[in-house]
Amino acid sequence: MFENIDLTLIGQGFFSVLENLWRQLKLLGEGALVSLEIFALTLIFSLPLGLLVALGRMSKNRLLSRIIKDYILVMRGTPLMLQIIFIYFTPAYLPEGLRFNLDRFVAAIIAFSLNYAAYFAEIYRGGIESISLGQYESAAVLGFTKSQTFFRIILPQVIKRILPAISNEVITLVKDTALVTTIGISELFRAARNESSRISSTTPIFWAGFFYLVMNFFVTKVFELFEKKLSYYR
Amino acid sequence: MIKVIDLHKYFGDLEVLKGINTEIKKGEVVCVIGPSGSGKSTFLRCLNLLEIPTKGEIIINGVSLTDNLKNLDELRKNVGMVFQQFNLFPHMKVIDNITLAPIKVLKMKKEDAVSKAMELLAKVGLTDKAYEYPSRLSGGQKQRVAIARAMAMNPDIMLFDEPTSALDPEMVGEVLEVIRDLAYEGMTMVIVTHEMGFAREVSDRILFMDEGIIYEEGKPYEIFNNPQRSRTKEFLSKVL
Repeated sequence: MFENIDLTLIGQGFFSVLENLWRQLKLLGEGALVSLEIFALTLIFSLPLGLLVALGRMSKNRLLSRIIKDYILVMRGTPLMLQIIFIYFTPAYLPEGLRFNLDRFVAAIIAFSLNYAAYFAEIYRGGIESISLGQYESAAVLGFTKSQTFFRIILPQVIKRILPAISNEVITLVKDTALVTTIGISELFRAARNESSRISSTTPIFWAGFFYLVMNFFVTKVFELFEKKLSYYR
Repeated sequence: MIKVIDLHKYFGDLEVLKGINTEIKKGEVVCVIGPSGSGKSTFLRCLNLLEIPTKGEIIINGVSLTDNLKNLDELRKNVGMVFQQFNLFPHMKVIDNITLAPIKVLKMKKEDAVSKAMELLAKVGLTDKAYEYPSRLSGGQKQRVAIARAMAMNPDIMLFDEPTSALDPEMVGEVLEVIRDLAYEGMTMVIVTHEMGFAREVSDRILFMDEGIIYEEGKPYEIFNNPQRSRTKEFLSKVL
């Protein structure tokens, strides 16, 4: 019954499916690299910046603390997508002389870093405020300076406590990178959508979801590793 | 060695210390007793400026602390303190808890700091716990480490803020024994305590505080056997 089927045709069909899939995955992979770049740069800038913001927020200087509080309110209170657009377009609408064009990638990194720093700051603050006064007092009576106290005694304990909250944000960040499509950066999500409309199929979108999931699988693993490393004391 | 002149401390409108005058000599062991809320701990915490006095003067080794807060760092190296809640650093091993301040603050060499720490641990009977984390120790062991940690700074004076109040009864003895050893070695100490038997035994002088003042003071046998004033008698009748 199957004698008349041309096996080479089946073979060709099979290969063209594979080829298509390979091409799609390559496109998405390239997009994913851009997403990862945004992800990594955002973390590099926002994690330390968040700590500074947290310290400013807790500062005894009322004015500084007030300004930081408002900054956090704006960053957490408006959509990140809007912030990206705002930071990208504002320089181009400045008065003559001040006007300049911001690279879209740079604009995205600035927006993400400022936004995530605000969230991280509140996590740091919660962690710092959870450390008992006794730790500060015993550091003080041993003669440690303020910065020694903070970096050697307080911060290591804070990091252990805030790790689960930080991992939440970092996982969200992986997915939020899709927002940069609004200013035309081609990353994973945009690549998937372009390909999807080109071949009139939702398969690429599905694959993009798979990519995000894989990235977050690794993020989760890394945090599990950190938590394990910091579980040497209770 | 320590001179306190007309020390006042307010928390908001509440006057906690209402004029304390006393002098503590080198090698003297002074126990501070009295009902809760009498200002004992606040008084002790003023001695190393964990609380900043509202008024009055504290002179340690001839240097006025209250004159110039810049003397604070120097002071704190010379005055050790042990807290009710131990306050060990949970993320560091016992040995690092003890050596960190000598290395970072006194700029001691690491080997020297470690050998000194091991000596102190031997003294408090915890040599075998040097490389444990505090969470693995009992309360009494934690407090003994805290004492070793304070001693590692070679203080001239040790302050104890209710060092056994957070301990299970069966661990009180081991901590008191360490403090007793220090007393016999001639360490100058101020101890806020509810352990009356201990206070009577180790101290050269008892300060009985009530309502923010030193209400009565004297040698232990005077205070415990023959208190002169009404509130001292009343307090002792309750606790003895």
